[in-house]
Amino acid sequence: MLQRIPVITGTGIISAAGCGIGRVWESISTGQSGLGPLTLFSSPRYAHHPVGQVREDVDALAGRVRGSRSDKLAWIAAREALAAAGLESGPDALNPERMGVMLGCTVGGMLSTEQVLTCLLRGLKRRFGPLRFHECAGGTDLCARKLGALGPCATVSTACSAGAMAILAAAELIEQGEADLMLAGGTDSLSRLTLNGFGSLLLLDPEGCRPFDARRAGISLGEGAAMLVLEAEESARARGAPVLARLAGWGASCDAFHATAPHPEGRGACAAIQSAFERGSIQPADIDYVSAHGTGTPDNDAMEIRALKQIFGDRLPPVASAQRFFGHTLAASGAIKAVLAVQSLREQAVPGTPGFEVADDKLGLEPVKEFRAQSVSRILSNSFGFGGNNVALVFAVPVISNPKSQIPNPSQSLLASAATKRGFAILGVGAVSAAGNSLAEIATAFRNGGAVASWFDVPAASPPGKARVYACGAFGAEQFIEPAKRRKLSRIQQMVLVAARKSFNCAAAAVAPEKICVAIGTGLGSLNDTAAFVENMILKEERAPRPIFFTSSVHNSLAAQIAIELNFPGLNSTPVQREISFETALWQGATELASGRAELALVGAADELNQYHLAAGMRWGWWRESSPEIQPFAGALKNRERPLPGEGGVVVTLGRAENAVSPLAFVSAIRIGRSENQNAGAEARWILRTLERDGIAAGDVDLLLTGANGSAKLDDFYRAVAGALSRLAGRNIACGAYKHACGEHHSAPVFGFLTAVGLVRGEIAPGFCTVDKTVLPGACRTVVLFTFSTTGTKGMCCIRA
Amino acid sequence: MENLIEELKSKIIAGFSLEGVSPSDIQTDEPLFGVGLGLDSIDALELVAILEQDYGIIIQERQVADKAFASVQALAEFVAANRKPCSSESQS
Repeated sequence: MLQRIPVITGTGIISAAGCGIGRVWESISTGQSGLGPLTLFSSPRYAHHPVGQVREDVDALAGRVRGSRSDKLAWIAAREALAAAGLESGPDALNPERMGVMLGCTVGGMLSTEQVLTCLLRGLKRRFGPLRFHECAGGTDLCARKLGALGPCATVSTACSAGAMAILAAAELIEQGEADLMLAGGTDSLSRLTLNGFGSLLLLDPEGCRPFDARRAGISLGEGAAMLVLEAEESARARGAPVLARLAGWGASCDAFHATAPHPEGRGACAAIQSAFERGSIQPADIDYVSAHGTGTPDNDAMEIRALKQIFGDRLPPVASAQRFFGHTLAASGAIKAVLAVQSLREQAVPGTPGFEVADDKLGLEPVKEFRAQSVSRILSNSFGFGGNNVALVFAVPVISNPKSQIPNPSQSLLASAATKRGFAILGVGAVSAAGNSLAEIATAFRNGGAVASWFDVPAASPPGKARVYACGAFGAEQFIEPAKRRKLSRIQQMVLVAARKSFNCAAAAVAPEKICVAIGTGLGSLNDTAAFVENMILKEERAPRPIFFTSSVHNSLAAQIAIELNFPGLNSTPVQREISFETALWQGATELASGRAELALVGAADELNQYHLAAGMRWGWWRESSPEIQPFAGALKNRERPLPGEGGVVVTLGRAENAVSPLAFVSAIRIGRSENQNAGAEARWILRTLERDGIAAGDVDLLLTGANGSAKLDDFYRAVAGALSRLAGRNIACGAYKHACGEHHSAPVFGFLTAVGLVRGEIAPGFCTVDKTVLPGACRTVVLFTFSTTGTKGMCCIRA
Repeated sequence: MENLIEELKSKIIAGFSLEGVSPSDIQTDEPLFGVGLGLDSIDALELVAILEQDYGIIIQERQVADKAFASVQALAEFVAANRKPCSSESQS
């Protein structure tokens, strides 16, 4: 049974089928497909393929905001959803700390990144500026800033299911009491990368997509964004917001089968649907309509119908796919379907399946062909992504609530109460880092003052040069991955897979595979394979696109690869929230453990060095050949200088504390949030409240381990947080750092987590992580890891012996 | 045709970094994908890219690829029938 029911109080959408739900619904009810010619950019190879391009002027509609096309699409949809929910004039009735944003995004700013690389590779004027908007987290940050949300704000990137995964994650936050209101959805713009990528997989239908049709030959690529305002039912009623529908069930799974192909029998799809039904106490007979993923690829549609027949037997409810209205909008897809489901429940009418004409005997399915009035009370909405990342959502008409139910206050968080007093057990760790690939090697590096920077060739820089970096050395890929598999994995995939195998081997637990979930964060994902695909595309003018680089370019190729190689079919997620990507993954894994859906969670993060990233930083004066190695708290960095970049991947195996055999340490007080500004006192209070939530006395904390990196302003802030926490705790809490051992990168905090494990186990002496030796703790038993990102999102956890 | 078959086998070994596999290990009349060499659907698509790169053959439909990749023999026949003259661009 659900503890707190998330309801939908607002929706927003922008797509090829129109901007705003009114316009989109009109397109759908009159059967007008949004597919048309590609004009956003030129594509010599795929120009003749119809696409679902947004025809409105996105820049003008978004107003005075800066960001990528994906970011702007997100804000346009978010603005509509917030207005519908009665939040356009600011959330007066709500505590901003109880509001968050959770978006799915896969393409991010790739459209403008491609333009930068095109200029670079063709020897034209070099403008790196648009690279600032490359990251998938941009839409989340923009919407969070506009909404003023100070609760959990993060982005997930599970390819074509990302929008649905974001809605699922937002629902978890509401159900476990971490938030009362979440803006949730997905966004993605068209890009040459995705167009050529799907083309390289022979998955573009030149006739436009024809879901479930016997002649179907692939997708049509689309773009857009859709948003829900998801709210705890009690919160919505308390402020008199309109309840449009409720989210009655949600479930996720992983095929653990193949990087791009779905499991032929629909194993993962069935598991996700069953999980959603179980979550919401829903019977198959309760479902009135299935909004299929229905992309129009031969394999997806066959697999999906097989899965539905397994779930529903011979009582299959009406099935339809609205894909041809929008094209396949990737991360927006699941969110667009969510908005349509809500509208169907309100209008008591359902979309049909444009593009379907000829029934496929092999499928044995006649989908709903045209828009029609139909009585609907529950709609199943499927979303499947590359890597077998599946999400099923069930939307239902609102019901009269139980007036006795109340909003539990944050101290009754499900996450806290489900964890025992000790938290979650850390059963194994695996690392690939510049400081070494085991805790012992890393401890040695700390004793020697940190990792040693090396030189990295940057031919893309102007003039071509070298950058000082913290690069990973050899990490035993040959030992851990057999050659037949290794040849198809990118370097970062290999780093993560080696870390996962080491971490899981230490855990050595006998657990049913379906009880194992995976959440691997990444800031920038597989940069080098992405660059290889784009280079090939630009230099060869789209001839002979390389599918292998496309399939590994998706951010979730890291987490999915672990699931495929180790056969873990539980939830599989890829948070991409800049410096708090790891903390978000940690929260997601812990959530699965707390609920009992998972017995083990592999959580971690990874990022890799890339020459274009380095070239941009060199251009901006972040790094120069004379840049010093990272010295936290030394204040050595001047003007625009930034700490030396690094790379690495760490995976941690977590279990529940009560049945842990020889755990390395314990983790609790896991939380993500956001701040508008750097206020040390406010952050110390946030940390204190989170510790109290999980029953940890602040007086027990020995060390605050931070992302301090030698930038005077940031280091001073972290030191001030430690000072303020010391005053609240009534004892000296030292301020520590770890980036001198791993370099600056978005996944560095997972290295900090590993450092904390080494500290509480006595393998790393605290003196090597602290500078303020006067308040050095004798021994570290309790370490708080705290990360404050450049855009104000923040994360923490507490590691204890 | 024999030369082309040997050439294709070498390209497959090099293109897929098949360590420890020699051309004689690849049976001329056996399916290329799914069994034997452990090649999967993404390798098949990589082979599509190789054919375009080296022989100027553009494949845009999966059915065409499935038929052409039934065996090295079938592949050689397909390449011989469809290759564009002077289209080797592997160094471009």
